[in-house]
Parts: sequence; structure tokens; C-alpha cells
Amino acid sequence: MGTSKPTGDTATAIAVLSGATVLGGVALALRQPRAPANDTRASLLPWVERSKAPAVPPLDSKATVRAARRLNRAAGTIAASVLVDSAIEHYRGAFHNEAMVTPLISASLSLLASVHGTADDRRGAHVARDLVYAAAGLTGLVGTGFHIYNISRKPGGFSWQNLFYSAPLGAPAAISLSGMLGFLSERLRNNTTDSRPTILGRPAGRVIGLMTSLGLMGTVGEAGLLHFRGAYHNPAMYLPVTMPPIAAALLGASALGEAGRRKPLTRWWLRFTALLGFVGSGFHIIGVARNMGGWRNWKQNLLDGPPIPAPPSFTGLALAGLAALGLLEDHPDD
Amino acid sequence: MSDPLAAPRAIQGRAPDVFREGGWVEMREFSESEAVDFVVIGTGAGGGPLITRLAEQGFSVVGFDAGPYFRPLEDFASDETAQNQLYWLDERIVDGENPIRMGGNNSGKAVGGSTVHFAMVSLRFRPEWFKSRSLLGYGADWPLDWREMWDYYGKAERALSISGPVTYPWGPKRPRYPYRAHEMNGAAEVLARGAEAMGYKWSPTPLATVSAPRGDSPPCVYRGFCRFGCSTNAKQSQLVAFIPRALAAGAEIRDLAMVGRIETGADGRATGVHYFREGRWRFQRARNVVVAGYAIETPRLLLNSANDRYPDGLANSSGLVGRNLMTQSNQAVYGSMKDEVRWNKGPPSLSITEHWNYDDRKDFFGGYCWMAQGPLPIEWVTVLTGSLGLWGEQLRERMKNYNHQVGVKMVGEMLPNENNRVTLADETDQYGLRIPRITYSWGDNDKALVAHALDKMQTSMELAGVRDTFQQVDDTNHLAGTARMGSDPRSSVVNADCRSWDIPNLWVCDGSIFPTTGGVNPSLTISAIALRTADRIKALADRGEL
Amino acid sequence: MTDQYPGYDVLAKRRTPSWNEQTRQAINGRLAIPREPRFLSPDLFAVLDAACRRIIPQPTERPPVPLAAYIDAKLFNKQSDGYRLAQMPDQGDTYRRGLAGLDEAARSQHGLGFTAIAPEAQDEVLRQAHAGKLTGGAWQGMPSKTFFEHRLLNDTVTAYYGHPTAWSEIGFGGPASPRGYVRMALNRRDPWEAAEAKPGEEARARRENDHV
Repeated sequence: MGTSKPTGDTATAIAVLSGATVLGGVALALRQPRAPANDTRASLLPWVERSKAPAVPPLDSKATVRAARRLNRAAGTIAASVLVDSAIEHYRGAFHNEAMVTPLISASLSLLASVHGTADDRRGAHVARDLVYAAAGLTGLVGTGFHIYNISRKPGGFSWQNLFYSAPLGAPAAISLSGMLGFLSERLRNNTTDSRPTILGRPAGRVIGLMTSLGLMGTVGEAGLLHFRGAYHNPAMYLPVTMPPIAAALLGASALGEAGRRKPLTRWWLRFTALLGFVGSGFHIIGVARNMGGWRNWKQNLLDGPPIPAPPSFTGLALAGLAALGLLEDHPDD
Repeated sequence: MSDPLAAPRAIQGRAPDVFREGGWVEMREFSESEAVDFVVIGTGAGGGPLITRLAEQGFSVVGFDAGPYFRPLEDFASDETAQNQLYWLDERIVDGENPIRMGGNNSGKAVGGSTVHFAMVSLRFRPEWFKSRSLLGYGADWPLDWREMWDYYGKAERALSISGPVTYPWGPKRPRYPYRAHEMNGAAEVLARGAEAMGYKWSPTPLATVSAPRGDSPPCVYRGFCRFGCSTNAKQSQLVAFIPRALAAGAEIRDLAMVGRIETGADGRATGVHYFREGRWRFQRARNVVVAGYAIETPRLLLNSANDRYPDGLANSSGLVGRNLMTQSNQAVYGSMKDEVRWNKGPPSLSITEHWNYDDRKDFFGGYCWMAQGPLPIEWVTVLTGSLGLWGEQLRERMKNYNHQVGVKMVGEMLPNENNRVTLADETDQYGLRIPRITYSWGDNDKALVAHALDKMQTSMELAGVRDTFQQVDDTNHLAGTARMGSDPRSSVVNADCRSWDIPNLWVCDGSIFPTTGGVNPSLTISAIALRTADRIKALADRGEL
Repeated sequence: MTDQYPGYDVLAKRRTPSWNEQTRQAINGRLAIPREPRFLSPDLFAVLDAACRRIIPQPTERPPVPLAAYIDAKLFNKQSDGYRLAQMPDQGDTYRRGLAGLDEAARSQHGLGFTAIAPEAQDEVLRQAHAGKLTGGAWQGMPSKTFFEHRLLNDTVTAYYGHPTAWSEIGFGGPASPRGYVRMALNRRDPWEAAEAKPGEEARARRENDHV
């Protein structure tokens, strides 16, 4: 087609980046948790610690685990969205490749791990959950590869037409996001009681906040592409390309800015973004109903109409953002 | 459910609501004895937009159509045979060396005209075609400037919510199509592979069927019966897109109303139309009469309206009414694939290459495009019998390969020729009106273009891996000419505003006014010109020049 | 002749969202077509019936299609194609002359009417008509080639491939409204489409066709 390409290079770059992220995540998941050095010092020389860092709030293990459980919940929400969405979309693709069943399995496991994690108020990473989340991350990576291959084989290559209708490039990343949030949750649980939570030695709130912010932007890209395909025929279709980017920006600013302060605007914006995910599904249900034949023609319209299970991905990410924000607000120092 | 053909539906102050089963919309009604500002004869690609825009600009307008007022949701069966009800099937005589097949091919008899069953392909002319005599050396120049037309194309595309590619690969920049292109089916993908193998650009075809909801139109469900009437209203036919707007703006539509003669007064101006409805002839007075009956019925009406003052028919001082009839070459190359193509799924022409409309390295005049195909069984079997002469067991066996067939079909420019024409036969029809005789012969240039196209199409299909290819040599589609537009009263019937040179309150607004027909489907150009004509009429009225 | 779409019956979809009410009515009307001639004389109708059987040999494994009855109905209802070649009389006369012409050719060549000669001989007469070789007598100047190609052949195949039996035979999805299709790409079949029996997969295709 020649003239109508949003550059294949960008798509490849996105795929490589997300792939690298997931691979890094897998490597981290396999690392043994290491107690931060200052923990030892703190127990040996409690007065020194106290005098050196008077701003440290009372150590709150419950808050850290609570944040971790919130992340599990976020990961589960996304996993549920991916499970149903990929089931529908891959059924549409007639499961012509046996690998198309993989995201269903992976998302199911991620969902189970997340339910388990949400209910689990113990500290310490859980090996099985870690493995499941790592697998989810890997599934997204491999899926993106498959989808890139699928598009590249089509006449026109990385053209708008193929981005609209061939295997969606951004979709497999959603399962990676679920894996990533779960993985961050497990890292969070690895923090020992007497420290402010860190991930990779960096303040957990900032890490989670930034990753969630990036995830939100990626999901916005996918929604933007598909709503562009729908020609934004309903003004409400602009919501998922306006609200979540602001949420991502606010969360990103919080993650990079001064911690330990209340951020009511960010918090409310994230809450509304979480709500938007469900509202989006509602809109999509209406969309299916207004297609020809409505619900009586569900065998077609569930596949051809707007994807009902897709929007809650925003809910999952917003929940993760709220967890991050809680950590940021509770831990003022870096 | 009433029979749309038995009695008019647009009566008693209401017309069918095409979007709601059994629903009605209010319709203004005009008295026959008081002259309305405009009578428009025909409600298709030309009449539909014109009626709408005239009404929206405050004129009193009555639109006539000889056909019924269908309710697509209730009247349209999902069936090739039953949908013969959409065509103009009154008898016409065809002759010449290459008689044109009429009927379903290129006629419609319904409110909305042939847009009710057209294939929705909505393309713009190549700019040079508006000056093909001066710039390309053939045919005749249009009295229109392509840049002005570019604006009206944009307006027509927005009004019809055309679903097209994000960027179109040929011609000058055009605004983004209002809706995104449709998903391509297997047949469209094969065209793309063939085009890429030839080094041609290709594109998803801009189509007048929505890829996302629009108002009361749901998105296309890819039934593939597009050419037999869209039963879902995804197709943006005039019946669905413009006529409801016209009614809302206060126009009246009279269905099952056959206009048989235009009356002229002592001053030589048109005074109204005689029309047959509900069992008897009636007369509607009008200050202006617009003929929009397409390239057969328009000249037929003008010729049938001959009177003492205009013995050769109305608007015919040039002698060109009925002359320069043009159809478009519609040849195809078909073949089989090992793959299951199932080409009946989705609109039939989901991809296109206009390569040879824009590449002038060829030794004949004119251009052509080709598009993916998806004929339903009856159309397909007539291709096999017509092109291969198959019948008997051989035919049945060949038909079993239906789901593996694939093909591409051209739309090619035929040159205007005065001897290709519409005249009146001595036979009369059910209204007592003389029926048209349609005479057509291909010229050497037409044959050269077809040979070139068949060769290129065949090569591209073979490069795309299609086997057992064969050519469908004898087919044409679309009509134009017979009341051409121009800048000289001696060599044209109407001026740039579609106003007849001879009778200032008589206008022609349909494909008849085309001086040349271009290498793309004509409907979008007809609608764009109709939108322009409405604006011109308003401007003339404002200056007191009607 | 193997069944390419074993067990596929497009009529099984009659009560699914693939068929709307107006489609059901249209097809019901087609299936209920009167089998007795209403336009042609019984003799000419018999000639037409015999010719149709040669042009489209009827399938043995599916309900036969009354082709001659459809053509007679078309003539009876004066359903025009919307145009007429200048050298041809109107539709009814075209058939009266053409069918009588076929019968005359059979009598002159075989001493028996068209319906009484062997199928191979019928084919030969039809081939002669197709080649434009039959003239004189009942033809009254009407070209037999045009009669065969534009009328007899065209109307016969149009009737056959407008019938559900033919749709089932060729694996055509048939009516599709409101439900259209979802899987648009090559080699993708929607669950309500006919499954083709690839070699060795007849049983699987039959199973799938039971659930269209």
C-alpha cells in the first residue's frame, strides 16, 4: 500500500522494549530477596537509626502488604480482562494456530495467582505466584512477536489497515502488564518489616507508579487505535484517550515528584479512571446491542461489536496506580 | 406488511421511516395546482442530494420516483432472485454491435434509485478527466474546475459517511474519509497480493457502507448481499442517507409516480409534469423541473415530451439529447485457488487498484481501475455460461468450486461517441409511453483499453497464485452521457449548473450530464455535482436569475 | 460424484438469525412453486423440462429443482429482464418458437419428438442450437444461438442456482440477514458456513455441517 504507514519501526521498537521489560522482570523474579543493609544496622544500633532519620514514619508492615495485595487485585483485574478478551478474539481467529490458546491459560493462571495473592496477607514473595506472573509477562512478549509476524505477512505490512484488523499489536502487552503488576506485588512483599518498601533498592511507590503510568499510556495507545478505527463516532469514545493519559501524567508526576504528600487530585483521577473501565464495558454492551440483530445475533455481534471485556484493563491499571499512590503518600523520603 | 409495489406509501402526510419497522415520518405535501419551486424527477444519486439540499435551502420541492418506497428492514429478502424487485425491468430494446445488458446491471426503480443496490464504490475522478480534451487529448472538457469539485466530493463523502482508507494512494490530497475502511475479505487480499506482485499500489476501497454506527445505521455485518439491497441500513444509499434529510427539511416524495411528459407553456418555459400515480394521469405545476432519471430515462423523458414548439424533444436544439451514451467496460479475470476464499462474504469490492487511471504509459485513451469481486451464485453461474459456454454436468461440477473462486473486475472508461445513443422505439409500455431503444457499439479505443486491462488483470491474478484463470470479455456497467454538460449550447445540452441551454427552468442532474465517464464508478461524482447544483441554484435565486 | 459439503443443508438455517422473516417468505414461495404449466402448452412444457434436465442434470442426493416450472412461472408472470435484444420477439414468443424449434430438430434428425430421443441426442440438438445451426420452421428467423444463450441457458441456470438445493450443493452460505459473517480472511469459516470435506475428513465435515 506504500503510502499509509504509521512506521513499522515504531511497532518493532515497542515490541522490543516491552520484551526487554518482561525479560528483565523474569530475571528479577528468580532472584532471592535480599535484606536491605540498614535493617541490620537498625537492629544493632537502633538509636543511630533513629537519630539519623527522624522523618521515618512508624514501620507499617501491614500497609506494605496491603499495597502488595492491591497490586495483586490490579493484576487480577487485567488478567480477567485479558482472559475474556483473548478468548473472544482468538475464537474469532478460529484458534487456527494452537499457540492461540496460550494467553487463555496464562491469563487464567494469572487470575488465580492474583486471587490467591489478594487474599494472602503474609509477607514474602510466593514462588508459584512469581512463576505464574513471570509466565504471563513472557506470554505477552511471545504474543507480541506472533502478532508482529502475522501483520508482516499481510499485504500492506504495517499499514493502518492491518493494525486495525490483523492481530492487534498492543493486545498481548496487556497480559504482560498483569504479569508485571503481580511481579511488583511479590517484590513488595519481600520487604522486611523494618524498612520503607523498596523494589530493586528504589522506593517501591515510585517504581510501581512509573511502571503503571507507562502501562496506562500503552493501553491508551491500543484504545486510541481501535477507537480511531471506529471513527470516534460517539463522543464518549474520546474518554479513554483523554482521562487515562491525564491519570498517567498525574501518577508519573507523583512518582517522580516529592513523596509523602497527599495527592487528592491524583487519587480522585485514578478512581475515576478505574470507574471508566467499567463504564467502558457498559458502553460496549450498548454497542453490541445496537449492531444489526442485537443480542439475538450475539454469535456475530459479540465478536464484531466493541469488545466488552477490554475496557477493565484501565480499571486494573488505575487500581495499581492507587496502590502506588498509597505507598508514595505514606513514605515521604527517598 | 403491505406490498410496496401495490400502492404508494408516501401519502397522507407521511412517508415510511426506513429505520423503524412499521414506522412513519411526517411529510409535507404540496398541492398539484400550485406551482412548487422545484419538481425533481428521480431520487437516486443525482436527485437525492439535490432534493435534500434544495429543501434545506428553503425551496418547495417534490421528488418523483417511478419506483416503490421500500422499507429495507422489512421488504428486503436476503436473496438474489427476490430482489429483482429493485431493478428497472420495464422493457427496453437494446441493439448495436455490443448491446448493453440492462436490468439489474445498471438501473434502479425505487426511491433512492440504483443506489439502493449499487456496490457502494465511492471514488473521485482523476482531476485531469474534467479537462480530458485539453489535457489528455480525448473526449470533451467539462465546464467544471476540479478544485471546486474536490470540495464537493468532500461534502458528498461526509454526507454519505464513506468508509475509506486513512490515506488514499492516488491523486491530489483529499481529506480523511469520515469512517475507516472495512476489514478486507480473502478476495480483497488476493487483489492486494496481485497488485504488489505487479508493483502497483492498492488500497481498501472507499465504500458507502459504514464501518461503525452512524445515526440509525448500524455497522455493516458483511452479509455480502449489497447489490441486492442492504437489509440492515448500513449502506448509505440515497434512501437511507439523503431522503430522510429531505423529508425533514420539508420536501415531498411521491413514490410509484411515473413522470411521462414535461409540459411547456406559451413562453417556452416548463410549467410542470404529467405523471401517473394511483391509476391515473395527474399534473403537478412547477416553477422549475429537474430531470434526474439517469442516462436512459432522462433522454427518454425529454424526447417523449416533444411538442409543437419543441418537435425534437425538450432541451434538444443541439440534437445531442440521447447521444454520447457511455457505459463502462466491466470485464473480469476469474480463477480458482486452493484456499477457501468464500468471496461472498462482505461487500464485493473491498480492495482496488487505480494504477492504470494514473499511469499514462499506454497507447490508448482513458483509464481503468479494477476491484475485488464476490458474485453470488446466480451472477457467478451466468459468468460461467456466458464466458465459458458451460452447461450440463461440466457446469455443475465447476459451480461446486464456488468457495474457491476469486477474481478481479475492471471499471474502464469508454469514450463518448454520438452514434451510441438512446432513441424512442415505436413500442409503448404499460403507461402508453414509447420505450427506449439503446444502441451501443464499442470503438477501437474501447477495445484496446479492454485488451490492456484483461492482460494486466490476468498477469496479476497469476502472480497472486490463482489457477485456471479465464476472462469475462463481455460485460459493461454504469451509464453516462445523453444530456452532456458543456460551455457551448451547440455542443452540449446543459451548462455547468446543469441548466438546459434551451429552457432556463429545465435542468438535468444525474449521470446524463457527463461529457466523459472516467475510469471509476460514477455515483460519487453524480452526487457531488448534485450538491454543487443545489448551491448554484441558491446563488442564482439570490441574484434573481432563476 | 462425491458430495463436497456432506450433510450441509442451507434450509437448516431457516430458523437461525441468518434468515429474516421476509427471506423465509421468499424461499417458502419458491419451494411451493406450482409444478404444472400455466403459460406454456403441455407439449412445449415437456420439451422445456427435458431441455432443462440436460442443461442442469439434477442431483440424486438432494431434492430436485423444478426448473421448467420456474421458467414457466417467469413467463406466466411476465417477469422481464429489463431489456430485449432487438432481433428477439418478446419473452413468451421467444420460448414458444425456440422450444418448438428444438422439437422440430429432434423430429427431423431422429424421427421422434425432443422428449422421446435419448439424452445424448438431446444434448446434440442443444449443442446445435448453441452453435446457431438451427434455423427455419418454428424459429421464424429468430437466431437459435441467442435463444439458447440468452434465454434457455440463462433462465435455467438462474432458476437452479436460485434454489436452496443448489446452494447446499456448492456450499454457499445462503441467506444472511441479520447475521452476516465474521471471519473474513482466507481459509476461515464461520460456524454457520458449510464445511468442505477435504480428502479423508468427510466425517468431520458432516459433523460440522450438522451444526451450521
